[in-house]
This record gives sequence, structure tokens and C-alpha cells, in this order.
Amino acid sequence: MTRYTLITVLLVLASFVVQQFLPALTALHHSRVLLVQLVFLCAAVTVGQPTMLLLAFVCGFLWDAQCTLGVHGGDPEIYNQPVESLRFGYSILLFGAMGFLMQGIQPLFKQGKWYFSALLSGIAILLYLAAEYLIITFARGGFTFAKATALQMAYTSLLTMLFSPLIFWMLFGIASICAHSINPEAAKKRRRHF
Amino acid sequence: MKPLNLIAILLFVSGAVWALTRSERTVREIQCSYFSAIAPFLKSGSQTEAYARSFLDEVQHSKVLDAELATVNREMGRLRIVESRYRELERENARLCHALDFKTASTFNVATAQVIRRQPTTWWQTVEIDVGEERGIGTQLAVLSNEGLVGIVDRPAKDRSSVILLTDEACQVSAKVEDSPEVGILSGQRGQFEGTPLLRLKFLSKNATLRSGQRVFTTGRGGIFQANILLGTIVSVEKGAEDSEALVRPAVNFADLGTVFVVLAKDPPKK
Repeated sequence: MTRYTLITVLLVLASFVVQQFLPALTALHHSRVLLVQLVFLCAAVTVGQPTMLLLAFVCGFLWDAQCTLGVHGGDPEIYNQPVESLRFGYSILLFGAMGFLMQGIQPLFKQGKWYFSALLSGIAILLYLAAEYLIITFARGGFTFAKATALQMAYTSLLTMLFSPLIFWMLFGIASICAHSINPEAAKKRRRHF
Repeated sequence: MKPLNLIAILLFVSGAVWALTRSERTVREIQCSYFSAIAPFLKSGSQTEAYARSFLDEVQHSKVLDAELATVNREMGRLRIVESRYRELERENARLCHALDFKTASTFNVATAQVIRRQPTTWWQTVEIDVGEERGIGTQLAVLSNEGLVGIVDRPAKDRSSVILLTDEACQVSAKVEDSPEVGILSGQRGQFEGTPLLRLKFLSKNATLRSGQRVFTTGRGGIFQANILLGTIVSVEKGAEDSEALVRPAVNFADLGTVFVVLAKDPPKK
């Protein structure tokens, strides 16, 4: 269990490095694979609540360290309506919320129905992006929601979701190396069957 | 609820509150530590990317390269003539300025940089360039291309820096319209990623008489950008109840950013 948790944290850290080299697909409305979010969501359903919260904190903290923009600066007399930047740390709460969403269907995952979790990971990413966009809008004002933005969110969620079986396959592999069962009920069923 | 879960939630919430209450300076320090930690991976990754790109370039057909070389040679000849003409004008200008006892027009002291990659953020439009604090790059320095203003340095590291592009909503520039008394604040628009994103020039006068094609330049006010840097051209004007806004097509092709120039802080902009 401890070994599995540790390797999961390392996997999340590795996803941050790989994410740096994943480009946006201009042909698909600048959508991209959100690997960090995907690894977190897939891992969140395989661990207990305390570990999920630890992963959410690590992911949110590092994601904001990677993405937060500085203040614009300049003479306040000229730039008297500065564009609000988002508070560092807001992603921690978003990751936490997504993690709780994933844990909601943990009973199904434990029964071996991992594909429900894969599907939910796509929905969770869509909700994550929508929430992030709404936070930006709330902080900066002036609600605009272009069709291109909606398509960008939809394609990003879909693209990311397509990679979830691969991440689950990796997590199952890691669990098996660590001699840890991440879906014990399915394992019991299998044993009974044999 | 299990006591362990309750403790975990309390710790999580305290951690989130701690992060949310960090000052701007602490956040910058955290970001600096984060990027220093992943710098070796970024460096090796960028090198691999560069090798792959140069390999693909090499396998281009030689005839294509010959044709390109011929075009480049022709263009170089033409630019030499243009350059000699500019040198002549520059000398003439210097003579006239001296004669009129004008203050010598300050020139930009720039550092040349290459755009390494677009950053993996969902909503912000940022790029990373291959120069950093080692070359005197600091925050809030203007970044130009030979077409016009590209953006502003957001986070310099040792040997690379992050640049917020002009097409991002967070990059605001004090701008003026040529042949007109109109001045305003130019910035990108939220969620605009498609094709050539248009910029929005806000806070123009209510009855601004602007026409399509007029060029927009920096005013030099505001303490960040130097004056008379080309930003773009007016596309259309939207009149409001209190002021007018104009849509501006950027001068720079942001889809094809290669070499850029960071204006070093030697030449202070007007306050």
C-alpha cells in the first residue's frame, strides 16, 4: 500500500514533466491532453481519501506553480483597470473537488468496472475546465463564452479521456508490482471463479 | 466519517488556505524553485525536440532547399540596398538632430532570443524563450519581433524566460492610433485561440473617428513599453454609450514566432 502510494506520487510528478512537452492541437481548437489531471483522476479512484487529498494538494500546488501569471505592473494611473490574476492555490481546491467526484464511483471501480471511471474522468475534466473558466470570468468580469471555447473544452476532455485506459493499465501494473489490490472485490470474484 | 478522513480533510483545507494566502513574492519564489527543479528535464527535452526538428529539416528535398537559398539570396541583395539607404538616412537624421540640438533619439538595447516552446497552460497565451537572467532579462521587459510587439516577460529564470503574449487578456498596452488623437488600452481577448486572434483597444473617446487600416502604436506611457512600437492595424470600431472600442489585427504573426528581441531596461520608458 505504502509502496503503491509512493509510486503514484512519483507518477504524478513525472506527468508534470511530460505535460511540458504535450503541444496544443491547433486543428482541434487548441485542445490538448491534460496528462496531470488525467493521472490524478485515475489515481484518485484507486486510493483512499487521505491519499487522494495528498495527491490533490501536490497536483494543485505544482499546477499553479507552473501556470500562475505575475501581476501586470506598470503605472497605475495609466493601467487603472488591471486584469485580475487568479490566486495561487485555487487549483488545489479544484483538484480536491475532482478527486471527491472520482471517489464517488469507487465502489464500481472496486467491482472491476474501471471503464465507468474512465468515462467519468472525461466528465470530470470537462467540469474542471468549465469551473476554471468560470473562476477566470468571475475574477475578471465580462462574461463571454465563445463557441470556440466550448469546443476547446469538449475536445480537451475527449482527448484526455481517450488516454485513461492507458493510465489505468499503468496503475494496475504498478499495483501488481507492489502486491497491492486496487479493486479487491473484482479480485475476490476472480478467485471464486477459478 | 472515519477520524483519519476527517484529519485528512482538515489538513487539506489548511494547506489550501495556506497556499491561497501566499504573497506575490512568495509565489514567485515557489515558481522559481519549481522551474529550477524541472529545468534539467526541460533542457534535455528541448534538446531532443531540437534534434528531431533539425533531422526533419535535413531530410527536406535538396531542390526545395536550393529554391529557398536562391530566394533568400535575392532577398538578401534587396535588403542590403534597403539597409544602405537606411544607414544614409540615419546619418542624415543624426546630423540634423545635432544641428537642431535635439536630444539624441535613444535606441533599443535588445537581447536576441529564440522561442523554445508554447507553455502547457490551458487559458493563458504564453511562450518560453531561451534567454534569462544570465543575459540581463528581468520581469516586465517588452519582447518584440521584426513585425512589432510580441508581449512582455513574465517570469525570468536563469537561462530561459516566460513571455505573456500580446494576444493574452492579461497583457495590457497603452496604445495610440496614428493620425488621430485617440489613445487607449490594448489587450487580447479571453478565449480567442482560433486563426489570427484580434486585440481589443478600449477606452477610446465616445466619438472616435477611426478607419480600418489605421496603425496602432505604443504610447510609451505606463512605465513598461517604449514608445512607437507597432501593435497592429484597426479592423473595426464599436461605439458604446460612454466610450468606443476598436478591434485590432496584431502586426505579429503569433502562429509563427521564431526569433524575438527582448528590450533590455537600459532605455527607460516615459512615465
